Amino acid sequence: MPFPVYLLLLGAILILQTTVLENFAIAGIKPDLVMLVVVLNGFLLGAKEGAFLGFAGGIIEDLFSGSYIGLNALSKMVAGYLAGAAGERLYRENIPVAAAVAFIASLAGLTVNYLLLLYLDIFISPLYAFYRIAIPGAAYTAMLAPFVFWRIFRYIQFRGREL
Amino acid sequence: MRWATAKRLLFLAVLVAVTLAAMRFTIPERTGRISLELKFRDVLAPVQTGLTWLGRQGSYLVSLPVSMVGAAARSQALEQEVERLESEKIQFNEYLLENQRLTALLDYKQVMINNYNFQIASVIGRDPGNWFGTLTLNRGSSEGVMENMAVLTPDGLVGRVITVSSSASEVLLITDPRSGVGSLIQDNRTTGIVEGVAGSAGIARMIHIPNNALVETGQAVVTSGQGSIFPKGIPVGIINNIQNEPSGLFLSADIIPYANLNKLEEVLIVTYVQPVAETPRVGG
Repeated sequence: MPFPVYLLLLGAILILQTTVLENFAIAGIKPDLVMLVVVLNGFLLGAKEGAFLGFAGGIIEDLFSGSYIGLNALSKMVAGYLAGAAGERLYRENIPVAAAVAFIASLAGLTVNYLLLLYLDIFISPLYAFYRIAIPGAAYTAMLAPFVFWRIFRYIQFRGREL
Repeated sequence: MRWATAKRLLFLAVLVAVTLAAMRFTIPERTGRISLELKFRDVLAPVQTGLTWLGRQGSYLVSLPVSMVGAAARSQALEQEVERLESEKIQFNEYLLENQRLTALLDYKQVMINNYNFQIASVIGRDPGNWFGTLTLNRGSSEGVMENMAVLTPDGLVGRVITVSSSASEVLLITDPRSGVGSLIQDNRTTGIVEGVAGSAGIARMIHIPNNALVETGQAVVTSGQGSIFPKGIPVGIINNIQNEPSGLFLSADIIPYANLNKLEEVLIVTYVQPVAETPRVGG
């Protein structure tokens, strides 16, 4: 995906994330669409690209909210890298595999997010952080993977990238 | 180690270090907001307003098929009900008017009307993630909104304004882990601090309650007025679950906020508090 298109897509996703998606929150938890796009792109393109796209997507999210610049950049960079590393070792053309990778990479990214919050002196009880936010958030995000995976897959194929 | 790998690792280390420093540098309480970001929010506010409306319509459409299950069977029965309900409607309107008058007589409502000035605002955006709990409102400094003004609904406290641009403002919810509200238990006047647990979980926690206090599930918690941001006596939530704090000196209790913070559409910003003896001025 050309980088400017990727940035525009992320911008549009972020606006949706702050407005429309709130209506589809379950017990207050909404899926992380930026994470989903980062993880699936990373899964299909590789670890290096995943880390880069994750960092770029996270920085845009941070600039959007205007504070703690770098918080989402680092966590999504880790998620993108892990998804890419998994994609290099696993069979890519399989939705359950993609969804499982999306869950694990999202959970890893949210764990990094939690650790960075501690670094910023924002304490959240680990019990709440994992059972009320990280695990449900990662699961909800991964549940959406089947709906977007093939679109990204076909787009990347269409662009003639090697998989 | 190969030179290329070493270079890559060095680049990664520098990137992480710079990002960690940037994170610290951009803590909102320390630096304030970047003016560019405030301008960006002003530009984005109308877009967010439209999309929020669209989202609510979309949510309705998605839930519509579920509500349509068995609709045909219900339809006939409902038609018969309609005639009967039409005649009862007039009677219920009377009850409604009576209810409104009685509501207006409630002490709290009276205090609100007499002592506060409000600005009604619509929620046009929320924090993109699940960790923090913030709202974007469609009212800004041009409508007289200022930082640290309390935000509430008729049900209870919502939070406080943390940043303001000319046409929008950002509210820190009481469930955000960065939030702290001086509060007291209404029954026994025991004080404590209500702090957020996690933005999206919809739960706050009252901490530093003396362990000899008579705390029970279901007791109401209201703002104490100490700390000068929140006016005194605004309902915060009800006590749900009581635990001992690790120090053993205090208790803590989960608080379920009165206001449904996950489903807010309109809120009231307290723009002015009447300077009476026991109610401090907002932001003072």
